[in-house]
Amino acid sequence: MFHLPAFLDAFPALLSGLRVTIELTLLVMPCAVVVALLLALARLYAPRPIANLAMGRVELWRATPLLLQLYWLYYVMPSEFGILLPGLATVAFGLICNVSAFLSENFRAGIASIRAGQWHAGRALGMSEIQAFFRIVMPQAWSRVLPETASMWVELFKETSLVSTLAVADLTYRALALRTENYRTLEVLTALAVAYLVLAYPQAKFCDWLYRRQRVHE
Amino acid sequence: MTTDDQRDHRRYAHNGPALIRVEEVFRRYPTGVEALRGVSLIAHEGEVVCIIGPSGSGKSTLLRCVNGLEPIDRGRILFGDREVRGKGREARAIRQQIGMVFQSFELFPHMTALGNVGEGPRTVLRMAHAAVEARARALLDKVGLADKADALPLQLSGGQQQRVAIARALAMEPRAMLFDEATSALDPETVGEVLNVMQQLAREGMTMLVVTHEMGFARSVADWVVVMENGQVLEEGTPARIFGGPRLARTREFLQRVEHAPHDATVKPE
Repeated sequence: MFHLPAFLDAFPALLSGLRVTIELTLLVMPCAVVVALLLALARLYAPRPIANLAMGRVELWRATPLLLQLYWLYYVMPSEFGILLPGLATVAFGLICNVSAFLSENFRAGIASIRAGQWHAGRALGMSEIQAFFRIVMPQAWSRVLPETASMWVELFKETSLVSTLAVADLTYRALALRTENYRTLEVLTALAVAYLVLAYPQAKFCDWLYRRQRVHE
Repeated sequence: MTTDDQRDHRRYAHNGPALIRVEEVFRRYPTGVEALRGVSLIAHEGEVVCIIGPSGSGKSTLLRCVNGLEPIDRGRILFGDREVRGKGREARAIRQQIGMVFQSFELFPHMTALGNVGEGPRTVLRMAHAAVEARARALLDKVGLADKADALPLQLSGGQQQRVAIARALAMEPRAMLFDEATSALDPETVGEVLNVMQQLAREGMTMLVVTHEMGFARSVADWVVVMENGQVLEEGTPARIFGGPRLARTREFLQRVEHAPHDATVKPE
């Protein structure tokens, strides 16, 4: 039987976890965007050895599971390398590495999709390559990759739930903790689902809106 | 309009140094295609030099080499008394003085017409906001698009976009302009408006290197016509001589082919 009071009572308990989830998303996403841009630029324009290094870095993180990556950072780094970071910092680092790997492929495609004539037009005005990149190429590439980046954001918001397995007290962690207290599995997990849904749905809708807006522009 | 005799006279009376001097330039693409095989040509200050020839003859490559967008393998290109190079501050300084107009316009789609025209002065010359806007508005007015200042490139016709592109190049106050098949991508009905702007520029004394398939324009506006084929200059001369009595059979064949081409719009008489 679904017990409504238990369902409703779950929400206040989830609140503190929600803060961690939101903090994690807000911290990881901007960092991942910057790292992804650097990776994309390295793969496109850096000398061969650096470009290959960037490619290796991207493929390693794209081809292994996120949960494994987080576990590796959380358990192997302290024990084998003596690097002991707070739990939140460790998972934030892992998420930044993971998200930036996927984003960089998106950015790389976006930048490469701007035709050479646009570079020529900027340089013909006397711009340096850096000026042409920031004034001409990047704004156009950005509007092309924005929808994909936004949906990555929503994905990340939900994927942060994996950090609950590493004793980081996010939304999911709080829910699982509460469940072991009151054994109201149905109510607590349903409340958790509702919490993610209510938060992620507007973000997903925002992504759809970005997709539509971008279609008109091109 | 100048007569052919006057043009001939003007050409051969030049004693001073040329503004653009291309000397024995070779360019082989990484793919192995030899785009330029020893091309030389000269454009004096205030002269309109039209480069004609079949597709793939190296005309567009030559134009990109002139402002250093395309590297050259051998030979040299002088702009004034300075050698054109591909990279570095010196290369950019020369490029600022050479405007370029592309076949596919290459307007910046994320900026309005006004933003496009102001981009050079704003980013490269670092002019103050008010001065940038004043210059950009004046140039849009000059190409007949004062009322389109706030339009995005996408909202403009091909001919309008190309006129904005010309204004954008002029905003750097260049000493010379390069036109790379500026009307080839246009609907026939908008070709005339772009050619008129180019003709006006020529009248004002702009030095112009014009790669074109518009034989009407070459005939009536050019001071000098260069015919290229297979990466080499086939022959050159005044329009009267090239169109009136080309020396080479290959030039005659080429001219006969394009004379019957449908897209040869005529320029409005002065």
